[in-house]
Amino acid sequence: MNRAVPAPRSLSETLKFDARELNSRRTFFQLSDDDLARLKGLRPFAERHMDDVVEDFYRLILSHPEARRFFPDDETIRRVKRLQRDYFLQLFDGVCDLAYVENRLRVGAAHERIGMAPRWYIGAYRHYLAILLDRITADVPDPAEARASYQSMLRLVGFDMSLAIDAYIAANLDTLGRHQAAIRELSTPVIKVHDHILLLPLVGAIDSERAQQIMEAVLLRVIGEKARAIIIDIAGVPVVDTRVADHLLKTTAAVRLVGGKVILTGISAQVARTIVQLGVDISTMYTVAELSEGIELALGLVGKQISTGAT
Amino acid sequence: MSQRGNIPILRVGSNLLTTIHIDLHDTIAEAFQEDVLVAIKNTGAKGLVIDITGLEEVDTYVARILADTGRMAALMGAHTILVGMRAEVAATLVRMGFAMDTVETALDVDDGLAMLQARKALGRK
Repeated sequence: MNRAVPAPRSLSETLKFDARELNSRRTFFQLSDDDLARLKGLRPFAERHMDDVVEDFYRLILSHPEARRFFPDDETIRRVKRLQRDYFLQLFDGVCDLAYVENRLRVGAAHERIGMAPRWYIGAYRHYLAILLDRITADVPDPAEARASYQSMLRLVGFDMSLAIDAYIAANLDTLGRHQAAIRELSTPVIKVHDHILLLPLVGAIDSERAQQIMEAVLLRVIGEKARAIIIDIAGVPVVDTRVADHLLKTTAAVRLVGGKVILTGISAQVARTIVQLGVDISTMYTVAELSEGIELALGLVGKQISTGAT
Repeated sequence: MSQRGNIPILRVGSNLLTTIHIDLHDTIAEAFQEDVLVAIKNTGAKGLVIDITGLEEVDTYVARILADTGRMAALMGAHTILVGMRAEVAATLVRMGFAMDTVETALDVDDGLAMLQARKALGRK
C-alpha cells in the first residue's frame, strides 16, 4: 500500500492556535511590530552578551539543589546551554509568527516532559529578566531607550511564558484524558465465562454516563461473542436506587433486542428491599441472589449444566 | 413466490426467512407486510425470521412496522423472531422507550431458525 503516513499534528494545531489567536494574544500582551523591530535592533547586544547571560542564568539554577536535579550531568548542562543560546537569540530575531509560536509551545512541552513544574520555569525566567535588565542598563546609555528596550523584552517574554503554560496545561489535559479512557475501560470489564456466556461484575457507583457506557460495552460484547446470556453482578454496587434500577432495565431491554438475556446477580437483602419499596418492576429480568446460581442459570439457557464428578 | 415488493422472502424448511436491506418506508413497508402475509398463507409456514443485520438505522416508525408485522404473522399462525439488530440500534430504541416487547429476538439467523425448530419440537403453535 502506498498510503502516506500523516504528519504528526503540530502543537499549535492541537491547541487551535491560529492567526486569529496569534493576533489576539499579541494585542493582549501589547506586543507590537515596533517592539519586534526594537528587539531586532538589539541583536548585536544580544550576540555580545549571549554567552555570559546564559552562564549567569545557569549559575543560579544550578545553585538551587532542587532545580539542579533536572540537570543530572555535564553533558545535559552543555546541551541545555546550547539550546538556551539559540532561545536567547530568537528573542532578538524580530519575528513573532505562527512558526515562532510552535517553537515556544515545544519549549513548554519539553519542560513538561522532563517533569519540570511551571514554578521552576517561571522562577528561572524571572532570573533571566533580571540579568537582561542589568546588561541593558549597563549597555544602553540613554535611560529612556534602555527602559523601552526592556519593556519590549518583557512583552515578548510574557507572550512566551503564556505559550509555555498553554503547552503545560495541554499536556496535562492529554494525560488526564488518557487516564479517563483507561478508567472507562476498567469500569466495564466484560468477561467471557463460557461459550455464549458473559459476565460483567459491576463495582462502584453507577451514574448516567457510566450506565450509558455499560450499555454500549455490553451490547457490543454480546454481539461480538454471540452471547446468549450476560450475567451482571451488582454485589459491588453500593447504592441501587430507582435510577440505577432503570439503567439496568434499559440494558436488559437493549440486550434482549440484540437476542441476548441479562441475568442479574449479587442482589443483597437490602437491595431487594429497596427495589420493592421503590416500586420498580424488574420482573422482565432474570434475578438470583448468588453469582454461582447466575452461572448455572446461564448454562441452562445454552443447554448445559454443571454436574458433580465421581469422587 | 410472486411478490409485490422487492424484499425477498425465502422458504427455509417450514419457516420463512427475510432479510431487510433497504429502508422500510411508505409503500415499501406496506408491500413488505403484504408479501409476508401472502407467503405465510401460501406456504403454511409456522415461523418467520426477520433479519435486520443490514439496517444501520431503525427509527420508531420502522420498529413499529416490524413489530406490527410480527403481530399480523402471529394472527396467521406464524411465530416471528427478529434477528441481527445492531448495538447502536438497540441502544437508541431503548433510549426512546421503544423496547419492542411483543417481538421475540435472537442474535442471528442461525439462532432464530434454531429457536423456531425448538418451538416446533415442543409442539407449540
